[in-house]
Amino acid sequence: MMGPLEPLWAGIATGGFAALFNLRGRDLPLVAAGGALGWAIAAPLQDAGASQASAYLVASIAIGIWAELVAAVRRRPASVYIACGIIPLVPGGGMYYTMLEYVRGNNWNGLATGSGTLLAAGAIAVGLAISSAVSRLLSLRAVARRLSSPRRVTSPGRRPRSPRPGRR
Amino acid sequence: MPVLDSGAISGDDWRMDEGYEPLNPEDALLLAADAARVMLESGGETYRAEEVAVAVATAFGGAEAECYATPTGVTISFAGIDGRIHSIVRRIKRRSMHLERVALVDALAREVVAGDKGFDAAEAELGRVEGLRGRGILASSAAAAIGAGSFTLLFGGAWNDALAAAAVGAIVSRFPPLMAGRQLPDFFSNLVAGAAATFLCLAAGGVGMVSKVDAAIIGVLMLLVPGIAVTNAIRDTIAGDLVAGVARGADALMAAAAISIGAGGAYQLWRLVSGWALA
Repeated sequence: MMGPLEPLWAGIATGGFAALFNLRGRDLPLVAAGGALGWAIAAPLQDAGASQASAYLVASIAIGIWAELVAAVRRRPASVYIACGIIPLVPGGGMYYTMLEYVRGNNWNGLATGSGTLLAAGAIAVGLAISSAVSRLLSLRAVARRLSSPRRVTSPGRRPRSPRPGRR
Repeated sequence: MPVLDSGAISGDDWRMDEGYEPLNPEDALLLAADAARVMLESGGETYRAEEVAVAVATAFGGAEAECYATPTGVTISFAGIDGRIHSIVRRIKRRSMHLERVALVDALAREVVAGDKGFDAAEAELGRVEGLRGRGILASSAAAAIGAGSFTLLFGGAWNDALAAAAVGAIVSRFPPLMAGRQLPDFFSNLVAGAAATFLCLAAGGVGMVSKVDAAIIGVLMLLVPGIAVTNAIRDTIAGDLVAGVARGADALMAAAAISIGAGGAYQLWRLVSGWALA
């Protein structure tokens, strides 16, 4: 069962990694929230009997959409928030147990654990691909920007181009 | 930022005398290539590095700009306003995660495309972004300690396990930068870091400081294992950057192998050591 504090630890761990990846300031709590969100979705799903891969798929779709929304508001690439948000899900434990089985000489167990680990990583990648496709289809970025700054009619950054871009 | 002496290239034939001095294509080429290089060195995605290079080159007068990036190198070429094809290769030797740089280079490319930044301003900004230092020793060790400690709690460890993992994590996180400074390949830093993480946690368990040794070890190893690299490899492949995906996958596989060899060796060593201690 997921302990009540687990999303908190996942969020703090994500924040620590984000700091290690040289993110600063307001980005840190935002990515921490993404990491906590992912765990808060994946862990109960697994408790309810979903396989690890399908739980991670759903969780990483949520993380991806969260990252797209934050990225739109903060005007930064979504991948910055995705790279941190998936950290609690990233199968480090699976890699460790794979290694442990091989070290103990249980090659078949190692193979089984290893393929499960790879499947989990694949599920995360597919989930992120789905979320980016969905947010592109629904143009989530534009929606999030409008919600975050309702008075602005046209998006900035669409100023007319200088007639000669090559000008020194 | 290295900038070639622009006086070295062709004469005045490309100058269109319309009251301004057109941008030297070589300068645009270098800026585009360096933007892509910084992006890749800082952990940006392959396709993003390519987009940034093409955007910068096009904004500064390049026609038919194409960029081919992999995790280990960038090639970019375009037709300049002088009608010649210009191209350059940039090799990527070191890759680390510096997401602030990724965000800033991306923003820079957007500003350049929107016409908000001229060439000199863009060049200065890229130089500033590349010069951004990572966090200091104290801050990055603290971040590693927080990461390792909370992962140990997440994987079912108790408070004492988390504290031990945090201490070991802070120590182990210093290994990769130290060894990179000594020009050792990542393989060895992963090997040594994996061994140190495992051995220190086992030792902490041996003296009774840690009750769930597995949770503490995983917490620390999360700092090292290439989980993000594996995921990014698959993402690159899905996005169609097949070569980049395979390269990242190989990178991740070697990192995982190095950590496993180190951790496995530490296990064996610990068995020997604890065997002597018991005897």
